[in-house]
Amino acid sequence: MIACAVLTLTLHSTSAQGDTYTKRLERAATLIVENRLDEAEKQLVSLLRVAPNRAAALDLLGTVRAKQGRLDEAGTLFKRAIRADNQLIGAHLNLAYLYLLKGMPEKTALELKEVLRLDPDNADASYKLAWLLLSQARLDECISLIEKLQQSRPLTVPMLIVLGDAHVKKGNIDQAEKAYLAISEQSQNADALLGMARVSQSRRNLNAALEYLQRAKEFLADSPDRLYKFAAAAFGLNLNDDAIWALRRAIKIRPDEPSYYLVLGIVQLALKNPDLQDAEESFRECLKRQPGNAQARLHLGYVLLKQKKYPDAQVWLEKSIQKQTRSPEAFYYLGLIAQEQNENEKAIELFQKAIQLEPAFAYAHIALGAVHLKLKNYTRAQQELEIGVKINPQSSKAHYNLAILYARLKDPQRAQEEMRIIEKLKSEGKTQENEVDTLAPAAPR
Amino acid sequence: MTVKNKLILLSLISLLVVGFPSKSNTQRTSGSTKAVVTFEEVPGKVSGIGWVHNNAHSPERFLPETVGAGCAFLDFDNDGWMDIFLVNSGPSDFYSPTTSLKNALYRNNHNGSFTDVTDQAGLAGGRFGMGVAVADYDGDGWQDLYLTNYGPNVLYRNNGNGTFTEVTDKVGVATQGWSTCAVWFDYDNDGKLDLFVSSFVYFDKSQHLLCVDKTMTQNYYCIPRIFKPRPSYLFHNNGNGSFTDVSKESGIAASPGKSFGAVATDVNNDGLLDLFVANDTVPNFLFINKGGGKFEEIGLEAAVAYSETGKPRSGMGVDATDYDGDGWQDLFVANIDQEFFSLYRNQRDLTFTDEPGEIGPATQLLSGWGLKFFDYDDDGDPDLLLVNGHPDDLVEMKTSRVKYKEPLLLFENSGAGFKNVSAQSGKVFAKQFSGRGMAVGDFDNDGDLDVLISNNGEAPLLLRNEGGNRNNWLGLQLVATKSNPAAVGALITWQAGGVKRSRLKTAGGSYLASHDPREILGLGSGTTVDPVQIRWPSGRIDKLTNLPINRYTRVVEGQGIANLTTTK
Repeated sequence: MIACAVLTLTLHSTSAQGDTYTKRLERAATLIVENRLDEAEKQLVSLLRVAPNRAAALDLLGTVRAKQGRLDEAGTLFKRAIRADNQLIGAHLNLAYLYLLKGMPEKTALELKEVLRLDPDNADASYKLAWLLLSQARLDECISLIEKLQQSRPLTVPMLIVLGDAHVKKGNIDQAEKAYLAISEQSQNADALLGMARVSQSRRNLNAALEYLQRAKEFLADSPDRLYKFAAAAFGLNLNDDAIWALRRAIKIRPDEPSYYLVLGIVQLALKNPDLQDAEESFRECLKRQPGNAQARLHLGYVLLKQKKYPDAQVWLEKSIQKQTRSPEAFYYLGLIAQEQNENEKAIELFQKAIQLEPAFAYAHIALGAVHLKLKNYTRAQQELEIGVKINPQSSKAHYNLAILYARLKDPQRAQEEMRIIEKLKSEGKTQENEVDTLAPAAPR
Repeated sequence: MTVKNKLILLSLISLLVVGFPSKSNTQRTSGSTKAVVTFEEVPGKVSGIGWVHNNAHSPERFLPETVGAGCAFLDFDNDGWMDIFLVNSGPSDFYSPTTSLKNALYRNNHNGSFTDVTDQAGLAGGRFGMGVAVADYDGDGWQDLYLTNYGPNVLYRNNGNGTFTEVTDKVGVATQGWSTCAVWFDYDNDGKLDLFVSSFVYFDKSQHLLCVDKTMTQNYYCIPRIFKPRPSYLFHNNGNGSFTDVSKESGIAASPGKSFGAVATDVNNDGLLDLFVANDTVPNFLFINKGGGKFEEIGLEAAVAYSETGKPRSGMGVDATDYDGDGWQDLFVANIDQEFFSLYRNQRDLTFTDEPGEIGPATQLLSGWGLKFFDYDDDGDPDLLLVNGHPDDLVEMKTSRVKYKEPLLLFENSGAGFKNVSAQSGKVFAKQFSGRGMAVGDFDNDGDLDVLISNNGEAPLLLRNEGGNRNNWLGLQLVATKSNPAAVGALITWQAGGVKRSRLKTAGGSYLASHDPREILGLGSGTTVDPVQIRWPSGRIDKLTNLPINRYTRVVEGQGIANLTTTK
């Protein structure tokens, strides 16, 4: 990505310079494209020895460094290029991509905005910035940027898709539909079909959603982004096998993308018979690629907890709290671990912390009730369990604990009534076997 | 009458012991309590056990095919050496064997090998066998056998001359339907062994259903959820060679189940034996003995009946012991894969908490049947062996994680929980089996407990304990005079190496199996054991001092030591 930008932007900006310099610079750019990095480096070092502050040469050498994986050095060179020539769009764009590569979206956005300040018609920067804002859930900024662009020229298909996706995320279903339909008028586009699937899903028109999804499947080709979006839509429609298929295909094409593994793990957990080992592997793969991913840490902790691998689970959940200090789920899961390890007072504290962060967290109330039940604090247990049931009447865990409570209070009739509720929920397919999932983060849409 | 209400007789008994020295005397290393103990397979060529279980496997996959079978260590000829009994399938309404199928009774030759004496003993059977429970029900000093079947059960009375006579109907312990485990125990402390028989589902050929997965073209073994539960049996021993069916009046029949494993133990320390029964796809039962011949089922209240979300699991094997040494009996139940096995710690008030520790993750993908708490390394505390195998032979077509044949697992009691020591405990733990029944016994009389495993549709597995007796031990054969002949319910307390320990003699446990009735008390590196106290079910307390270690001692209730008639 960086190399391409260099070729298109750097050469353009250097065209006014001396022929020899330009030719040597062109030669270096060609060598970069051909991946002959050592030769390109020699050429550029030689150029910079004569003129150390030539912005274009610094920019190209930064590109070489980036391709060599020496990202910090690349960043220094791009910044030097910008200091030498603040108008050098290519260097700004390269720096933006570098920041993106390094997982620094804020800085990426700043650089892209700088590109657009210098060149308001720069379609690439516009699109990238809109996409970035969307991915960061800065939806108002994203929509405003695109609508501003729309005033000066018709939107491209990719931009319409970003606009539609932003509206979907914001819940503006009608505007989203408008954007997607504008694309459909131009072509059969998988992204637009996927968008329409989500629009239909939002309107609870599941048949239409399924139809759009099936149509989109024909046009997915080998685009990992589309496969990912397809997976997210399929997951939303409970088509988990389709979602897993798409994610596995996306991973095959782009094995280094951490979010694919994260969502794959989440979908694997959502299966009727969850494969905990597969999900664990997926979260671990995600964390291999993005060690600081708080969601992956949380999910890995959760899936280890489900396998009763408590010490390991505790490590990952505590790591997730380092990143997301106000995650009620993490405190809840840690509470469950403490409860399993007979650290009841600690469990109570953790559940209370989870409830403090999310007062309507039914399962934290239920778990708190269960600890009090274990400690024979029956009044307190009953209070918490009843709050849990009120918030989530379909929790079999709550009804079960209430049944035990009533049995111990020598009220067998009420105990049996609670067990009958569980049976009824089960027969209606409403029981939540994986109750601790409830507040777990959903797959990114 | 409870123990508390009985006159407690305390007798200090001086001891005269004639026992047999163990080979452990030459193997023991001083002070070594943590040396590696392994279990080694004894090949059929060496043991002389050539018998193979026939599971009657058919394309229709009738459910009884995958459930059996059981096995036992027993001393049928009273020579002081553990013999072996293995249960086989046989003719039934869905199965007509093309060749005659037999159970197997193997007599111990005292040299590590066995001789098949089935036919002479008259124990070949001829029914579709499930399990076996061994005890001297009539108190004549000879071990009798109760065989559970898919179909009517059979009680074989030991004639004392190497032969047995079927007495089922005569004594009144006949049953209907499909039985699994049977447990001999004395629920009313009258000194006679009563009999609990667990019933599985209502099933016969006419009720067989074809269970076919939509992705498969073959039948698989139906999950028992679709069959109706049946009440289990309780027979009271009248003491005159006959029994009375007290299933209804005792309260046992009020709880129909789909019962597999059962263990008799005393969970509330009231001197009355309770029953913990594992059920498949319906809640487990904890029958509390209320006295007066009545039982109350409190599984829900005790929190041992369901999973943590109130779901009945597929309970199979069970056992009970005081694993944490707090003087209260804890419970264990094995379930099917993904359900985890449960170690229920007794909270001393008829409630339990599930605290499996390391056992939890280790058993996530396994389905457990035979299991037993026993002190395999003679360090004094109960360890745990699990025998596993998935009931569905086609399970691997549905998932790549779960296997039909599964490994054995051995957990050592570390004092702070159970530690998985399978990997260092012998090559056999790297193998997979379709394990079902499992019995524990010291077949070579060397002072450490060996293991017998019956595999569904395969040859049994005899595992010799190698090195358990590096620690010191004390073997006890309890001979009751007033208490029930098996001394079930006796509480043995001993002190060695400065550590005081106790063990309740439970009955049943594991799955479809019966165990060596003797008790081996692990002494660790302790070289003396003082005193040993036995609180008999009758209420009598015998205190024994200066017991010789590393040998078996026969203790007669109220009389002290009796000479052992056999030596190695």
